[in-house]
Amino acid sequence: MPQTALPGARFVDPKVLSRIGNLELLARSVVEGFINGLHRAPYFGASIDFAEHRGYVAGDDIRRVDWRLYARTDRYYVKQYEADTNTNVSILMDISRSMQFASRGGVTKLEYGSFVAACLAYLAQRQRDRVGILTFDSDIVTHVPPSAKHFDMVLHTLDRAKGERPGNLAVPLSKMAEHFKRRGLLVLISDFYEEPDAVLDAIKPLRFLGNDLIVFHVLDQAELDFGYDDASSFEDMESGEQVPVVPESLRAQYRQMIQDHIAALTTKFSEHRIDYTVLNTSEPLDRSLFSYLSSRQKLMRVR
Amino acid sequence: MAFLAPFAFIALAAIAIPIFIHLIQRERKRVVAFPSLMFVRRIPYQSVRRRRIRHWALLAVRAAAIALIVAAFARPFFRQSAAAAAAIGGSREVVVLLDQSASMGYGDHWRKAQDAAKQAIRSLGTDDRATLVLFSRNAEENMRATSDKSRLEAAVNAAKVGSGATRYGPALKLAASILARSQAKRREAVLISDFQRTGWSGSEDARFPDGMTLTTASVASPPVTNISVPSVTFSRASFSGQERVTVTAGVANKSEQPAADVPVTLEIDGHELQTERVTVGANASGSVSFTPFTLAEANVKGRVRAGSDLLPADNSFYFVLAPSAPVSILVIETGSNPSSSLYLSKALSIGTTPSFHVEVVAANRVTPASFDNKSVVILNDAPLPSAAGGGVLKQFIERGGGLLVVLGDHSAWPAADADVLPGRLAAVVDPTNGRGDAIGFIDYSHPVFEVFKAPRSGDFSSAHIFRYRAIEPTPDARVLARFDDGGVTGVERRLGQGRVVVWTSTMDDSWSDLALKPVFLPLVHQMVRYLARYEQPASWQTVGQVVDLAGVSRTRGDRVIVSPSGQRTPVKAGAAIVELNEQGTYEVRAAAGAAATARPEAIAVNLDAAESDLTPLDTRELVAAVTGHATPSGNDIAAPVEVTREESEKRQALWWYLLLAGMLLLAAETVVANRLSAREKFL
Repeated sequence: MPQTALPGARFVDPKVLSRIGNLELLARSVVEGFINGLHRAPYFGASIDFAEHRGYVAGDDIRRVDWRLYARTDRYYVKQYEADTNTNVSILMDISRSMQFASRGGVTKLEYGSFVAACLAYLAQRQRDRVGILTFDSDIVTHVPPSAKHFDMVLHTLDRAKGERPGNLAVPLSKMAEHFKRRGLLVLISDFYEEPDAVLDAIKPLRFLGNDLIVFHVLDQAELDFGYDDASSFEDMESGEQVPVVPESLRAQYRQMIQDHIAALTTKFSEHRIDYTVLNTSEPLDRSLFSYLSSRQKLMRVR
Repeated sequence: MAFLAPFAFIALAAIAIPIFIHLIQRERKRVVAFPSLMFVRRIPYQSVRRRRIRHWALLAVRAAAIALIVAAFARPFFRQSAAAAAAIGGSREVVVLLDQSASMGYGDHWRKAQDAAKQAIRSLGTDDRATLVLFSRNAEENMRATSDKSRLEAAVNAAKVGSGATRYGPALKLAASILARSQAKRREAVLISDFQRTGWSGSEDARFPDGMTLTTASVASPPVTNISVPSVTFSRASFSGQERVTVTAGVANKSEQPAADVPVTLEIDGHELQTERVTVGANASGSVSFTPFTLAEANVKGRVRAGSDLLPADNSFYFVLAPSAPVSILVIETGSNPSSSLYLSKALSIGTTPSFHVEVVAANRVTPASFDNKSVVILNDAPLPSAAGGGVLKQFIERGGGLLVVLGDHSAWPAADADVLPGRLAAVVDPTNGRGDAIGFIDYSHPVFEVFKAPRSGDFSSAHIFRYRAIEPTPDARVLARFDDGGVTGVERRLGQGRVVVWTSTMDDSWSDLALKPVFLPLVHQMVRYLARYEQPASWQTVGQVVDLAGVSRTRGDRVIVSPSGQRTPVKAGAAIVELNEQGTYEVRAAAGAAATARPEAIAVNLDAAESDLTPLDTRELVAAVTGHATPSGNDIAAPVEVTREESEKRQALWWYLLLAGMLLLAAETVVANRLSAREKFL
């Protein structure tokens, strides 16, 4: 029984979701269901909400001086408002061939990532954020710049995405870093089959502009527990290399290594204040949404 | 342990197949796509586990199954002694058929045959029994079924080559009957011979039932030269009151090589008279005529020898000669016409075999003594003499004499002696067609007319019969010939041991012109020979013949027969049947008395001419005809009786058990493997 992030919030199994052909419908179903379970509306309201006063300093626009306060206190105070809530949300989707993996008839990691991306895009659109998408494997494949009107294009891009080529993080991500001229929220969805240091080196440039980064590490259950029985030749989906494997002999070692890998990533990302969430494709989507919302909330407080 | 097909073990390499599959093939069986092997690659890969064979027992079962099946195809068998091999298949009843015909005397054939027989005897196991049958023209059990090998071998050693002809039929029938009586599990006949083709006609009714086997051991070898004397002919001539005989010997060469300058020698009474040389081509024959010699007395023993070769028995030909005894004839005529018996007496004076001694007497001068020592009486157009009446003639006939009654004008027969004639005499018939009557019907089956049976062997139709005396044949009479008008020409009846023939027309030129025709001479000769019951004395007999001494010997009372090998056999006066089993000259002596010192009567015995033909028979043909199975027979002597590798393997049939065990192991392997694979995903 997959765990849900919030008690009482029921989420549909990803396998069932995969039968919904329409990503928008899927995203709406998931997001609305998710939000209904929350006790507090997550939407961050109008951008003209007053936040606080601060003393006038030379150079401030005199139109922002609160004259009423001046009348009472005879001091110049400037009104400060809540931050601009219309932010750019860019989804960075890894569509390398390894993302096509699915075990035991489940959804592929790419599909699962698409569901997550669609849901997040829907959520962002609901709160008037601009949504864009970048898909990449060893290079950037498609680029939909963030826009309030690009929700449909984002879904369309996700729909078309197919994992056909081997992946690489460093090249496409460094290219991407040059694209983001404006600060925004970046959602990176990948399976991170690279060394933790290399991953971090690739991701760091994204942070240079002060972007907020949410990282979803999508893994299949089989990648986590290596639950194979038969001795077989295992083929690397990216390189095509085949290695004879007796699962039972190296299962324990493998599990340890993947956990070490996750732990290393967790440590590295947290060191750099990057939200990092491991997603299991056999579990519902709520964890990803929750992770996103908490990040978005943090972003709101940034003045 | 040995193997009939050791090359099958190459297939043992198949044992590597399960191991190969296990170690190599299995790993490549399935490919699992996995996102990334970056972690798997980091784990030091050890295929040891994969290569390690976990189910040793299962592998062993598989390997053992393959090994067993391969071993089965290699057809293993245990090397055993003949006796041990025999014990496996149960006791054996063996009949050793040893050919002792004259042809086995060729070269070393007999020694080889004895060796083969002894080898067959030595192959016997403790429970086996064997019967030794010696055969030539006939077969006899020389040694009855016994397990005593030494006795059997002694019997083989004691056996000798005989003089008989080869006949396989009686031997095979005897073997079949001996084997049929046996209760042994395996019944075999071993036929040891030179397999002359002449010994097997194919029509013999010798047949082995199922379960009996016939093994052949041929001792035949290609003969280089085989000279034989198959026959001798004699030409007799009278010279100065003595009989001179010219001997002509045939010499046959039954081989592929011509024989040059073969010396041919004539021996008379043990003395060499003459030697001639003759050249005979391959598979041809020639003849040698010797200078005539005078034959003065009876029972002269002769022999013709031709050359010398590996089969000496057929190089000699034995014969016995005696001066020809003339047939004594009494011709009774009326005496009124001196030429009435001219044609008859002239015709009878010509004969040589036999010669005829003719005495012509007028009817009124006949006395009862006239009939003494006469074989035939001819009443030539004469009435029955008074001296012959009253049963005298009848007694003469009943003792074996012959009577020819030639009817004519003067023929008259008293009613008292009418029972001598084969019919009742009637009136004279005078055919009125002007040209006379002709002989229209002749009984060619009668000995008198048999020689005229072939075409152009005598034309009776050209004779004109102007008158004849009708006769009404009695029921026991046999009509020999009839005229065109149905009248009887000749009629015969038997009386006691003698014969009476009535010829109804004259044998001169008064009533017919038959005496002027060419058929007259042979007709008269035939009639006289028939009436005299003349048989040309046989100068020789063939081995195996049974003779009645009464026919060939004049000695009466107890006799002693001395065989060519010197064996003396006393014969009682009553028992006169003798079987001639040896080649050479038998002598018949009176047992006691003055006659015992006289020159003995002799019977010459020669080999069957077929024994000289050594052309071998295809033994497979013989085996197939006898057993119904075309079993190939070993040509070498040892093969038929020695247990061959194939035979051992066939008897033991170990392959069957190995194959069964292999199959059972495979079945067990299937069960075990299924159980293991149910527990584990992969074996």
